[in-house]
Amino acid sequence: MDREEAIEVICSCITDEIVVSANGFISRDLFSILDKNTNFYMIGSMGLASSIGLGIALKNPKKQVIVFDGDGNVLMNLGSLVTIGSLKVRNFIHILFDNHIHESTGGQPTTSRQIKIENIAKESNYKIFSVSTKKQLKAVFEKTKQKKGPILISVKIKRGKNVNKRITLAPIEIKTRFMKSISK
Amino acid sequence: MKKIIQQKIFHHLLKNNIENFIGVPDSTFKFFIDEGIKMNKTIIANREDEAIGIAAGMTLSNSNSVVFMQNAGFANSLSTITSLIDLYQIPLIFVIGWRGFLKNDAPEHEKIGKIQPELLTSIKLKNRVIDETNWKQNCNWALNNIKKNTSVALIIRGDTLG
Repeated sequence: MDREEAIEVICSCITDEIVVSANGFISRDLFSILDKNTNFYMIGSMGLASSIGLGIALKNPKKQVIVFDGDGNVLMNLGSLVTIGSLKVRNFIHILFDNHIHESTGGQPTTSRQIKIENIAKESNYKIFSVSTKKQLKAVFEKTKQKKGPILISVKIKRGKNVNKRITLAPIEIKTRFMKSISK
Repeated sequence: MKKIIQQKIFHHLLKNNIENFIGVPDSTFKFFIDEGIKMNKTIIANREDEAIGIAAGMTLSNSNSVVFMQNAGFANSLSTITSLIDLYQIPLIFVIGWRGFLKNDAPEHEKIGKIQPELLTSIKLKNRVIDETNWKQNCNWALNNIKKNTSVALIIRGDTLG
């Protein structure tokens, strides 16, 4: 499974959840597969998807917040795992697409092969799930939607074949429609 | 700045619909921060960019936020301010300490303290230095700006050497 295939599986299970997607190919994939007003696509500021998701989750306790993140992104803002875990946010599902590389910038290695991000998250009070097939991912995602967070689903992915187009919405448009959609 | 003034600033912002105070601590305005912790309105983040991310998420949820930090932390935040806060026009009030403008301050503050006004100008973050006489007026200025979707910074000088 590559990142795009994994995002397709998750999108097939999404109903009214809020999704915050990390910059780079992750946001492009989500935009191509399932564009919704309740998606907040990050264009820049690598590492901050989980922090933005945390702020949204704390202010919308009745809504489920899903963060689409990458290994490079998580490693850039590792302290965020600790903050999220210490606040025990229940409505927070953190999906880590882990390919051990910075795929969007040309495939340079991250350290997630040597040091497992799941272990760091586990120490930070997350419930951990690890999957490597589409079938497992679908089953685990459906199951975790019922559980109290914070939850980390580590999805082992291969380097992708396809690169989706850039997001055609202006950042202000992404913000405005997102804010409207969650104030309902 | 006196303890009582710092507390008044916090309560003035709170009364005017600022619901979240997220940041990295600074001794320059520790009484302001303590008040937020006491009122359960504060999250202490590990880094300034993380604090901005959390506050941005809250503001996207229609809940206004302050982000506080030291001036060294402001330097850590430049990329996040330009590529998140400016790019998406997410209105935040930054409260930033200012050390390093006094002679003989601790050496780590010297260079960053000297260039802080230029940094603020070059990233076009509107700002005012607040003191014990003008704080209310400048807080109101900041509150009016975020209503117009503009982020601003309130600068608090460290007036004693610590």
